[in-house]
Amino acid sequence: MDRFEREALATRLLNAAGEGQLEALVHDEAVALTRFTQNAIHQNLAERDTSVRVRAIVDGRTGVAVTNDLSDASLRAVVERARAVAAFAPREDEPQGLVANSQPAAPPGAFVAATADASPADRARIVAETIGAVARAGLWAAGYVTTSRSGLTIANSRGTLVSFDGTDSGLNVKANGPDATGFAERYSSDVAALDGNALGTLAAQKAVSGAQPAAVEPGPWTVILEPAAFGELLSHLTEHFSAQAFDEGSSFLCDGLDRAYMGPNVTLADDFAHPLFAGRPFDFEGYPTRQLPLIASGVARHVVTDATWATELGLPNTGHGRPAPSASGPEPEHLVVSGGEKTVDQLIAETEHGLLITRFWYIRSVDQRKTIVTGMTRDGTFEIRDGRLVGGVRNLRFNQSILDALNHVEFSSTQSRTAGYSYNIVSPAAKIQNFHFTSTTDF
Amino acid sequence: MLSSDMLGFDAVAARALDTAVAAGATYADIRFEDARSERIEVRNGVLATLSDATSVGYGIRAFYDGAWGFAANSDLSDAGLDATAAQAVAIAKAGAAVAARRFAEAPTDRYVDEFATPVVRDPASVPLGERVALLLEAERALRATPQVRAGRAWIDLWRTDKRFYSTTGSRIMQRLYQTGSGISALAVGADDAQDRTYPGDVGLYQTGGWEIVEAAALTENAQRIGEEATALLTAPQCPAGELDVVLGSSQVSLQIHESCGHAAELDRVMGWEANFSGTSFLDPAQLGTLRYGSERVSIEIDNLMPRGLASVAYDDEGARSVRSDIVRDGLLVGFEMSRDTARTIGRETNACVRASSWRSVPMVRMCNLSLAPGDVPFEALFDGIAHGIYMESNRSWSIDDHRLNFQFGCQIGWEIVNGKRTRLVKNPTYAGVTPQFWNACDAIADANSWVAWGTPNCGKGEPMQTGRTTQGAAPARFRKVRVGVGYDG
Repeated sequence: MDRFEREALATRLLNAAGEGQLEALVHDEAVALTRFTQNAIHQNLAERDTSVRVRAIVDGRTGVAVTNDLSDASLRAVVERARAVAAFAPREDEPQGLVANSQPAAPPGAFVAATADASPADRARIVAETIGAVARAGLWAAGYVTTSRSGLTIANSRGTLVSFDGTDSGLNVKANGPDATGFAERYSSDVAALDGNALGTLAAQKAVSGAQPAAVEPGPWTVILEPAAFGELLSHLTEHFSAQAFDEGSSFLCDGLDRAYMGPNVTLADDFAHPLFAGRPFDFEGYPTRQLPLIASGVARHVVTDATWATELGLPNTGHGRPAPSASGPEPEHLVVSGGEKTVDQLIAETEHGLLITRFWYIRSVDQRKTIVTGMTRDGTFEIRDGRLVGGVRNLRFNQSILDALNHVEFSSTQSRTAGYSYNIVSPAAKIQNFHFTSTTDF
Repeated sequence: MLSSDMLGFDAVAARALDTAVAAGATYADIRFEDARSERIEVRNGVLATLSDATSVGYGIRAFYDGAWGFAANSDLSDAGLDATAAQAVAIAKAGAAVAARRFAEAPTDRYVDEFATPVVRDPASVPLGERVALLLEAERALRATPQVRAGRAWIDLWRTDKRFYSTTGSRIMQRLYQTGSGISALAVGADDAQDRTYPGDVGLYQTGGWEIVEAAALTENAQRIGEEATALLTAPQCPAGELDVVLGSSQVSLQIHESCGHAAELDRVMGWEANFSGTSFLDPAQLGTLRYGSERVSIEIDNLMPRGLASVAYDDEGARSVRSDIVRDGLLVGFEMSRDTARTIGRETNACVRASSWRSVPMVRMCNLSLAPGDVPFEALFDGIAHGIYMESNRSWSIDDHRLNFQFGCQIGWEIVNGKRTRLVKNPTYAGVTPQFWNACDAIADANSWVAWGTPNCGKGEPMQTGRTTQGAAPARFRKVRVGVGYDG
């Protein structure tokens, strides 16, 4: 469904609104993913769905109904259901009404036709290149190639009509050897950026150079976290920048903004327009998303808001709302960590004794307010001695305050985009002093 | 009633399967789903979510030359069905062209049947106003002290109709009711914030109707939960060291989920999840020989158990549910399997395949996997403990990508001294290695304190699928466990 079809559908829904205010959100997406393991494809799929979400506000009461049945009868019913649900909601003393917004500009490169049109054979070709590179090293590969396109239109009865079309693609590969593994990843709105041979080779090199991993002792270490590792660590900080967490007191920012929480070399922003993201320029209430400094030179500058939390706290709406109403509050979606001045090789060369870490796994909060998290290393952990990588080491578990880490950090100059199932971050590599490991494994 | 619901789909399914076969598939199946979900959530006296959603669509699996293709669509028109069936076959062919080995064989079994979740009271018969009022009352009671800065109360009601057809002639209709509810309080002090959730750590989620919400007794427990969150702000830190531990039933459930449920997924053992959620320390060669836990530990699959969140008569590749053992008297004896994975170890599937929705590819999931109850009353678990910790309700969970090295934290704990539960302690954590930990289990409480704990948000696969599973458990005792990790300096 293209933009014009979505906008026509949203307008039809608004025309059925009747009394009160109505918001219509039309989402159309197609996701394809080819997954491989042991040098062969084992899961291969394509998903296609179009859904509409209707928010009705009647007499200060809000109801929501959602359907993906686009028949005339269903579309009439979804509006009626939203209004009927609203009738059972308590009336809010100061209801958050809808507002009119105009179409913000999408960043360049957000939609790439070659990605939207990629075929199963296109994905299989990239898989074959990736597997080939790993197999040439005598290893087996596991990973995926994905391509997707997504179109979103939001309209409301106050005059908002905004649309965005984007594409995304990704290649994720783990090379598996007898006693060591390696990992590489790449994400881009343009499928042409996925180089199976290059990423397969990189993952294989890590697995080969990490063979016969040595046991090292837990304790405080100097670590260099590659972007995949540092990005996953930092993903556990994003919810702290929500106005809701800030107000509730579960955020580390609860002592207030305009205070230094991190080292002076730390600058974090939320920026949908960063070239490595090229993301959606408005939130799920149709409000334009601001490119926002969250931490500037270590000092907290902003939390992100939506319409509700902007009103609640008397702050500007930064356009970070989820589909409203939301019990979870707003959250940054496009975290960008500013880079430093040194290459990763320089950071390694300046390390007397430390660990280079490719990737983390299963990081979870241990203490939300203190930003203590635990997790494991995986897929390529190497010992550094006298400025040189000397070999692989067995995996370790850490317990670490993220804030403490960001007070003893140095960044590489180059950034890359890393992603997991719940985050999307542009990050450099990070060298951190006194990173706390608490146990080890036998692999 | 259910059979008549199939009639409108017979011709549609036949068209899709015929199209797949004409395109070259040697086997195909189609799974229609009509999912209705209602979410109500109250936060600090305000109705933060009141949503009523339907999602209708179908997924087609096509088999060609040893490879599967899967395509899903919400477009039920003839053109949509034809295109989706053809796409599934094209995907299978693209995969077969790359495959250096074959993972699959075409199924041959056939079932014609229907099933519905037993329901005492259909949630649809409970007026929406009554559901909202219950949550408003429970959430209000949570805010028992000024320190409770955020109270939440929620209900999830899910009804899913699944219709499965295959080219072997299977025709299966299932209507599933899954229901959940819970409350949580966030208390905030000068330099600390503490969460308490009830029941368990995500609420009580089971198959059934409104009776599951009533069983949760949210309002009756809300004030206590708010007060416990507040008391934790000033409670002493949980001691660190090697101590005996008693885990509440919901935490034992989480321990099963992470260290046995995921570890025993045979697709993970075979490396099918290697790049994402990892592999497993378990190996088919260990069947019947690996002492996974102490002889008190027996863990079994029962995908038809009453109230099990994954209870169905047939899984999402059309295989009939069965009971089977994973750990019997401490020995590893089985895995969670699909048809294709079971074949690799010379076994039959135990119907552990699920897809999180019509648009998701079916894969091996842990489903209903429970620890058999023991033979002592709950209070007797404290007997013989000179110094230990009793922990309840998960707060933090992390385990390595082989499912060995884990660290879990709970919301609340009590120190055990000379066989008695004594003072409240905060931030209790414990860590271990899976087989050593389960071998340190020397007592499990009896069936009186056994609960079928449902997990509504189990993540696995790419694209990520959110599975609904149950790990039934009673409280259990573990000796000489590393406690206090993460806070011990």
